[in-house]
Amino acid sequence: MTFHLSTKERLLAIVDDIEIIAKELIENTIAPKHQKISSTEHAQLVELLVAKDAELKSVLQLACDQTKIEQKMNSLRAQVELQDQEINQLQKQLKEAEQVLSTALFQARQKLASIARANKKPVPSEELIKYAHRISASHAISAPLTWQQGDLRRPYPTDIEMRLGFLGKSDLSINGHNLQHHSSLSEMHRNTTGEVPASAQNQFAWHPSGELHMNVLASGGSILLDTRGRKNTSQVEVEVMSTESSSSSSSDSQ
Amino acid sequence: MSGGDKKELQKVTPLTVDEIEIEILPTIYAIIRSVEKDPIDKQRESQECSVKVLELQKRLDNVRNQIRQLPIDLNKEEQLQRLETLRNQLLLKQKLLKKYKNIQF
Repeated sequence: MTFHLSTKERLLAIVDDIEIIAKELIENTIAPKHQKISSTEHAQLVELLVAKDAELKSVLQLACDQTKIEQKMNSLRAQVELQDQEINQLQKQLKEAEQVLSTALFQARQKLASIARANKKPVPSEELIKYAHRISASHAISAPLTWQQGDLRRPYPTDIEMRLGFLGKSDLSINGHNLQHHSSLSEMHRNTTGEVPASAQNQFAWHPSGELHMNVLASGGSILLDTRGRKNTSQVEVEVMSTESSSSSSSDSQ
Repeated sequence: MSGGDKKELQKVTPLTVDEIEIEILPTIYAIIRSVEKDPIDKQRESQECSVKVLELQKRLDNVRNQIRQLPIDLNKEEQLQRLETLRNQLLLKQKLLKKYKNIQF
């Protein structure tokens, strides 16, 4: 006979059987004589009771073994729990590492892309420094050292200066006037990426205008930077400004 | 029942087999004896009998309760299988951890 019941169920069944047999025996003892069962049956009942008791004891022994096994299993479960915790922690660390690495990769790719872009069109540093000098020559970057309250000069390109620049003049004469501009110039116009300064007060963006102007000068154009009555001093002040602007440009450069 | 050290688990309830009162037979025997012998004092005898019957009932119930508290919901084979599964699980997890913990990058 194979028992597929759990040990618990077996035990409980045996206990129930014992109870029934005991009740039978006791009732038989109490019962009046004509209802009593035969002595053989009585003996059989008693034997059955004893057998059941023995079975109970053996199954209890089994239960005892199972309890021991259960204790082992509990300790194993505790160990598995520890391993689980360690695995979880490791997983968290790996995830963090992956995140950090992917961020680093992304940024590195961006840097490589910008390096490639820069390498395609290299600009010599001399030219950049010259440009910086020129745009700061008219005090459009910062006020001159001798600036006082009430001085009419402004640390940004003023209205008049903008109108005197290339953009202002080309706007006035859309159809006819042939200003000196080369095709390379217009190309450079389009390629400029300028920041719009916060202090732009007229309709022209300063940066394109200034750059236009500079390029005109670099290519030997005839349009001079006309700042009100400062043509002579601007030459002198370029030297003064150069130190100042170079410091600012070097601080700006990355 | 078999002696020997069995550690009790956290619960206070008797999870050890030792503590189960399975000596039911003596009680039954006592009841039958007291019924069979000639009653000297009928009243006292019947009182004693009923007391003993109640005691039998109580013992049976106790045994049942204590059995229910044992961790023996499965039969032995299933329990051993579970034990094996647990052991394998533990081994696998330990292997996994060993594999990944000491990687040098």
